[in-house]
Amino acid sequence: MKEFELEPGEHVVKEVRKHWFLFLSGLLPFAIIAVIPFALPKLLMLAPPLAPYASLFDYNTPLMRAALGVWLLISWTGAWNAFTRYFLNVWVLTSKRIVSIKQRGYFSREVSSLFLTRVQDVTTDVVGVLPSLIGFGTIKVQSASEEVEFIMVGIPRPEQMRDLILRYVSLEPKTTGI
Amino acid sequence: MLNQPLQPFTPSALFEKLNFFGTLSESAMVTWALYAVFVFWTVYTLVAIYHWLKYSHASWVAFPAIAVHLFISFTLMFYALSGDMLFLSLLI
Repeated sequence: MKEFELEPGEHVVKEVRKHWFLFLSGLLPFAIIAVIPFALPKLLMLAPPLAPYASLFDYNTPLMRAALGVWLLISWTGAWNAFTRYFLNVWVLTSKRIVSIKQRGYFSREVSSLFLTRVQDVTTDVVGVLPSLIGFGTIKVQSASEEVEFIMVGIPRPEQMRDLILRYVSLEPKTTGI
Repeated sequence: MLNQPLQPFTPSALFEKLNFFGTLSESAMVTWALYAVFVFWTVYTLVAIYHWLKYSHASWVAFPAIAVHLFISFTLMFYALSGDMLFLSLLI
């Protein structure tokens, strides 16, 4: 871990990222954008007044081939960016703390830690049909100081994660945080 | 050189080839547009790779992710350039 050094006796219990469904949902706009150049001529053919414009989308010409290549390149790069952000945003549960690593954008990164000794309450929140069926939700970790609250949005199997956090919280001796 | 007559400005061979001072040819515009996109893509990819290598915690996912990105991107670039011979003639 480059963002934080593990203390003596501390070990990583689990790394959690957002649920794969949320990641795929984020890819959907790029998939739609990528399909547009292929779907548009067919859609134009369906509307007789616009049908002559369908012939403009002839990808055998150098210009249209270049345009399509650039269009797909931009779509692909956007999708890869989504994957990069998905992968670099992570929550790490160690035997002593919870570490939240947020990659908001390139060159914008926030790493924050909450020691388990300061955890007061852990709440899970699963709202909606899809989150209930697929199994993802939100975990709120309340610390001893009221302002600090760790919120993990869209993590898979939040109940398991909550139980795991509470198990390690119970192993840590409580401190007053002073 | 005050006694020397003024020489008319002559564009470089590259400018002549691209017909820079006349009407830009379609293929030249496509070529420069592609250059611009590829330069942007290169900078963007280098920044992304930097983040992958620095922050992916030495994950096994990093190198396959970078490799897949480069492979698909180069394939799309090759496709985009496949109909534009002027781009290749400038490189050679």
